[in-house]
Amino acid sequence: MEFVRYISKRILQTIPLLIIVSLISFFIIRLSPVDPLAELRLNPSISQETLDKEIKRLNLDKPIYIQYFSWAKSFVKGDLGYTSAGEKVSVKLKERIPNTLLLTFVVIFMTWSVGVPLGILSAIKKESSFDRMLTILASIGMAIPSFFFAILMLIFAVKTGWFPVGGLTSYNFNDLSLSGKILDIAKHLCLPALVLFTISLSGLQRQMRANMLEVLDSDYVKFARAKGLSEGKVIFKHALRNAVNPMITLLGFEFAGLLSGAALTEYVFQYPGLGRLILEAVMKSDINLVMASLMMGTIMLILGNLIADILLMLTDPRLRRGGQ
Amino acid sequence: MELIKKIFKDPFAKTAFLVLCILYLIILFADFIAPYSNYYANREMAYAPPSKVYTIDENGKFSRPYTYNYIRKFEPALMQTVFEEDRSQKYYIKPFARGEKYKFLGLIPTDRHLFGVGVNDGADKGGEIHLLGTDINGRDVFSRLLFGGRISMTVGFLSLLIVFPIGLLYGGVSGYFGGIIDNLMMRFAEATMAIPSFYLLIILAAILPSGMTSVQRFSLIIVILALIGWAGFARVVRGMVLSIKKEDFVLAEKTLGASNLRIILKHILPQTTSYVIIAMTLSVPSYILAESGLSFLGLGIQQPDASWGNMLKEAQEFTNILYRPWLLTPGVLIFLAVLSFNLLGDFIRDYLDPKGRTRV
Amino acid sequence: MKKIWGKYWGKYWGKYWSKLGSAFLIILIIALCLKACIRADIPEDYTRKLPDSSIDNIVYPEKNKNITINGIDFLQTQAPAGKFGGELVISTIGEGPKTFNPCNTKDATSSSMAGMLYDGLLTTEPRTGEVIPLLAKDFEVNGNDYIVHLRHGIVWTDGKPITADDVMYTYEEVVFKGLGNPSSMENMKVEGKLPEIKKIDDYTVKFTTAKPFAPFLRQLSYPIVPKHYFKPYSDKGESEFNAFLNPNTPPEEIVSNGAFKLKEYVAAQRVVFVRNPNYYKINTKNERLPYLDKVVYMIVGDTNNEILKFEAGELDLLSIRGENVARYKLKEPESDYKIYNLGPDTGTLFLIINLNNRKNNEGKWNVDPQKQKWFGNRDFRAAIDWAVDRKNMVQNIAQGVAKPLFTAESLNSIYLNKYIKGHPKDKSVAEKSLEKAGFYNKNGILYDSDGNRVEFDLYTNAGVLEREALGVMIKQDLEDLGMKVNFKPIEFNTLVNKLSNTNDWDMAIMGLTGSPLEPHDGKNVWKSNGPLHIFNQRPQNYTVDDRLEWEKELDEIFEQGALKLTFEERKPIYDRYQTIIYNQKPIIYLYSPIRIAAIRKKFKNIFPTPLSGLVYNLDEIYIDKGEIK
Repeated sequence: MEFVRYISKRILQTIPLLIIVSLISFFIIRLSPVDPLAELRLNPSISQETLDKEIKRLNLDKPIYIQYFSWAKSFVKGDLGYTSAGEKVSVKLKERIPNTLLLTFVVIFMTWSVGVPLGILSAIKKESSFDRMLTILASIGMAIPSFFFAILMLIFAVKTGWFPVGGLTSYNFNDLSLSGKILDIAKHLCLPALVLFTISLSGLQRQMRANMLEVLDSDYVKFARAKGLSEGKVIFKHALRNAVNPMITLLGFEFAGLLSGAALTEYVFQYPGLGRLILEAVMKSDINLVMASLMMGTIMLILGNLIADILLMLTDPRLRRGGQ
Repeated sequence: MELIKKIFKDPFAKTAFLVLCILYLIILFADFIAPYSNYYANREMAYAPPSKVYTIDENGKFSRPYTYNYIRKFEPALMQTVFEEDRSQKYYIKPFARGEKYKFLGLIPTDRHLFGVGVNDGADKGGEIHLLGTDINGRDVFSRLLFGGRISMTVGFLSLLIVFPIGLLYGGVSGYFGGIIDNLMMRFAEATMAIPSFYLLIILAAILPSGMTSVQRFSLIIVILALIGWAGFARVVRGMVLSIKKEDFVLAEKTLGASNLRIILKHILPQTTSYVIIAMTLSVPSYILAESGLSFLGLGIQQPDASWGNMLKEAQEFTNILYRPWLLTPGVLIFLAVLSFNLLGDFIRDYLDPKGRTRV
Repeated sequence: MKKIWGKYWGKYWGKYWSKLGSAFLIILIIALCLKACIRADIPEDYTRKLPDSSIDNIVYPEKNKNITINGIDFLQTQAPAGKFGGELVISTIGEGPKTFNPCNTKDATSSSMAGMLYDGLLTTEPRTGEVIPLLAKDFEVNGNDYIVHLRHGIVWTDGKPITADDVMYTYEEVVFKGLGNPSSMENMKVEGKLPEIKKIDDYTVKFTTAKPFAPFLRQLSYPIVPKHYFKPYSDKGESEFNAFLNPNTPPEEIVSNGAFKLKEYVAAQRVVFVRNPNYYKINTKNERLPYLDKVVYMIVGDTNNEILKFEAGELDLLSIRGENVARYKLKEPESDYKIYNLGPDTGTLFLIINLNNRKNNEGKWNVDPQKQKWFGNRDFRAAIDWAVDRKNMVQNIAQGVAKPLFTAESLNSIYLNKYIKGHPKDKSVAEKSLEKAGFYNKNGILYDSDGNRVEFDLYTNAGVLEREALGVMIKQDLEDLGMKVNFKPIEFNTLVNKLSNTNDWDMAIMGLTGSPLEPHDGKNVWKSNGPLHIFNQRPQNYTVDDRLEWEKELDEIFEQGALKLTFEERKPIYDRYQTIIYNQKPIIYLYSPIRIAAIRKKFKNIFPTPLSGLVYNLDEIYIDKGEIK
């Protein structure tokens, strides 16, 4: 029951974290001079009555701490409120989260299936020209500003006609057969996934390389080598398992990192994901939407870490015993 | 110094190091190298293509390098603006030509520039040379690249100047005292880390007071970038301090009755130097990229000041990419600078910390 | 074996390749430098092939007719009959619709989407701008009585007839109660009173306004909604009604009367409309319109993405902005699209000066008193007007695809004051004007009569290339006069907050949308107590009468103009308001972009007009595949 206690302790720990996060973000957003009704105000055909009604609806006429408490109260109850345009926040998030998860999973899958082997290879061939080349290639991918890369990719799509230009589905998506639908989504995912992949590959590859080097340098690998095991056996049987373990922790962070790192890419590709939604909401100071999505992001990060920890405990017997 | 020697032995690290040195030298002498100032604009020359520099004249003979001015014409039937060379007058490129007045290195007033084609002072309409063409306001892209580099290449370092003291102290104190203090401080740091950094960046940039001068805005953007970076750094420092504080020499100092602050500052933090150096080279590129991302959204350095990020914003128009490729040069420079920093950072990490224990 | 090779390979590469490589690189760089340095001076050929400028005359169809077949009062279009089937994919920029409830729309996208679903009684003739019947069969105006006759036999999408009850419900229980967007209720008020509405019989409704009121007729284009579908929600009160018909409503549930029905809405991606087989409009062969099976609105985030999508063939229609026009014009002859010039835009782009001379709630001046003196001085504002370089704005920023603007009404407005001719930039006039206002220039620095240096802030919204470039130009122009201008692009929503709430700004570059048909729509901007009177914004419920002389006159004009009924009577009144703005210059208009749009050639029945654009007649557009090459 060590295990259950650990998990529940971890979950309890997240509560103060969530409170601090919500306080920080709420006050920063509300103290900003950004007017959530700007677009309405600039519309000559909108009357003062409409504006007054909107101000009341959004609680903008109340002091900021009351706004916070009323927000927090309904959040705890599970009510995420309405956006400044009057749509249900929960509905908006529900539309976007699956899309973001899809993109994130594809990208994580790609980076892991490429980054981990490459990291291992470059660790084994440490300081060889292969290692060098990999480092440089990965650094090149990381050095292009993501939005710029995305724009170039879009132009590439236009010029070749091989890929659709942004979005997630074609306009005639609903008329396609099931396989057509899958193919359609896959085509749309290619370019944004490629951009995010290029950006996050190098970090993962470097990380894996470092872990592997550390393990290869450890006593038990040396011992295994001394026993006369073949190099392949040493690497795959002994080193690899231990090197991948710390990577699992990274998974949680990467998950949350993509959520924030994908915003500009989603924006350029017009991908209907959470990142773009938050970006637009932040620019408009759409408080309920921003708060809800930031809390979602935070919860996803915490969950990611938690899952990583659990995985770690399951794979690493040392940790299972210690419980920490 | 051992490090620099090592760098010069490695071809990639050497190249990266040299590229960075050249970039920094160029931006240091930007006023001298650039033929125009940051704000100089000839509105008759908006979106002019790069000046063509000729070294073989129309008779096929070698000549001193010269260029022609462009004339702008509007073709109503095509709704197209075209630039044609005005071949009636040659403008020879003179080294150390007179141009706009400026202060060399901020000290010596002068009007000599590395090269130029003469002064454009109303009465005598001199030549114009735009090595990389002009932007929408008719400003020289080449000159603005140099001045923009001043902002883009320093924003990261200046942020680090704020991040490091905060992170070192915060992590140092937290790790050294441990217990409840450590717990509280780390919870707070984790909370700031838990907010997706890019959104925090946007929110913070959006609330910058609007009545600011460009210098103020620049420094506040630095502070904002720092506000986002400190927590992760502090956490790593704390981890290192946790292990260092158990070492004998720290315990010895303690028994000798040294104050806590003294121990942290004098004995524990210096142990983290190599990590600081690595973190420095590896985090500068992320600041350069962050600045360009902010500018892409219109929240970074604002017009009329130049930064590579806000210059690149102009290059996002489809037709600009197709027909005005010279507007993409800031992207190339961002790429070069970030790549160089990454390569150099990787090398330094491998050298100072061959087992890759420090993670940035 | 492999391992050894690998080691050898690595060593070899590490040692020799790096030297070889760097030598090669250096040679390459030198070669490139040499290549760049040596260029022969050979004249370029600048001749261009111009497209044949034969303007094809668009033959506009005659006006719609009413025709009764089997007891159904159809509306018959006189446009050439076409083929049925096919789809049109167009775009909407932004985040997509926020509601499909036509009574609750507050943004342009939502109202155009809801407008697809719900027709109003009357509509605007696309060429002349006059009011013509749509859902109504016809209408009569007798002084302040408006009698509307409905069509017999036309139905909602669920088959129920459209009758006077629906009209009564729409006005009495939705609009007049201020449900949804109360602005429509405000717009219906004449001298603060709502009109009376009376059902004469099942197909006749009479509106009576307190006084004859010109803008009222256009208010009758308000979408009519089905009583049997809407009433259960409007009875439940405000919040239920606002959530009603939100974008997540199942499309098959929606009861509407427009030419197209909602088929599908995918958040942030697209809105799909399909043909309404029960629509009451027919073609000359008496077949029910519309022709198209489907109209798809792709939701795109920005114009750049829109262009790319058009370029990739994913969109059929593109409105092209200045810098992109040349490309499409050039490629038009061998392309599958055709370009139309729709004339100047409806919106206005301007430099606005803050004339505010009040204190805020905390007792602080909104605008520094010494700046108030400058901005309040007409000659100072005139100097700015003479100093801005509209010609180069048009040329550089709009790439020539725009026209200089001097009037408060947009260039395509039917109320445009044609006597205001404008003027080119003239620095000497500006200087004289400043001198007259008591300013003096010393060593290139401008001082006011009290010896204060003239320095102020100029705001615009950041992130928009066009506005930022405008700011840079205006800053230059004004600094030429010796002023010091701190140009500060700030975030859009923050800027609006400054303009309409906190009022602490000096000058700003902004744009507003307008109506080319009804100048009274600008009352919120021009009336001294209007919520958009940003150049001299008074707080809400402000009782002190501190109106400037010309503000009083504007108030009067906007009272009077609405009470006159004919265009001929109203025109001189609204001419006067434009003259006042032009003379007083609280707002200095800059330029008006020319709208250019491209549509694939396969679409027929395209009758572009400056007032309504390119595809206002979605129900008449059809596809002729025979033309596709």
